[in-house]
Amino acid sequence: MPETMLATRSFLNQEFLSQESVDRADESVFEVFARMLGLPVEVVSPPELTPGVDEERTAIVGYSGAMRGSCEVQMNRGAATAIASAMLGGGPVEDEASLDDAVGEICNMIAGGWKDRVPALSSLCALSPPTVITGRSYKVHMSTPSIKLQRCYRFAGQHLFLTLRREDMGPS
Amino acid sequence: MKGTILVVDDSAMMRKIVLRTLKMAEVEFEQVLEAGDGTEALTHLRANKVDLIMCDINMPVMGGLELLVKIKEEGLAAGVPIVMVTTEGSEPQVRQAILSGARGYIRKPFTLDHIKNNVKPLLVA
Repeated sequence: MPETMLATRSFLNQEFLSQESVDRADESVFEVFARMLGLPVEVVSPPELTPGVDEERTAIVGYSGAMRGSCEVQMNRGAATAIASAMLGGGPVEDEASLDDAVGEICNMIAGGWKDRVPALSSLCALSPPTVITGRSYKVHMSTPSIKLQRCYRFAGQHLFLTLRREDMGPS
Repeated sequence: MKGTILVVDDSAMMRKIVLRTLKMAEVEFEQVLEAGDGTEALTHLRANKVDLIMCDINMPVMGGLELLVKIKEEGLAAGVPIVMVTTEGSEPQVRQAILSGARGYIRKPFTLDHIKNNVKPLLVA
């Protein structure tokens, strides 16, 4: 295996679940909320969800190249409405297409922000356009087992769940 | 400001945000054209004279970097400032965009100052 590939693999195996990686995820979320939404956001423990009470939206952006995996952002309709409204300067946004679009773009920016903060990935990893899924019953299938990093954030009384997932390349 | 702006992004929400931020930066145009991908942008450019292009990179059908190449190949938008607005902020992407004809590069998420500092000087020049 080429030396550069070994270096990248070694970095990912050691660092993906590290505190530094978590910090990079938090920084990416904080940056998006500060710049694009103007809303304060904080890291919180995940609340207990009540199945079927509120419709969920999940946006997924795929990573390819030096790391194969995904960035997933999940929230309910209230959170999506708050984000879409903030993105457009505070006006009401209710149509489903705009809510999907807003959640997809938030996911896209968080995915890119996290990737750009990882020196070994920044120029060696590409993003897919976001896909938005409505509903809670879905499963992300990967060609190999994956490991994941999960965080929960609260803003304007709403929650955003972030999952960074990558294919498990085994011990370095 | 007289003239026409073309905003290219597969997200309608992001096109609105770009236009709203330009307005806040006191950069407004008489006519606004919007495209959801590179092919739609080419259709606009073949039929219209534009004065500024704000363009995403990562789009379905035809992305922003391929659009830059097509614009050059067809001799469209000669001398028109093209500013890439994208989540793809890696150095190779920036270099490729500049080599392909982009005059500016703004990474999402952006601020009002990013738009002011990267767009306004291009319109004065």
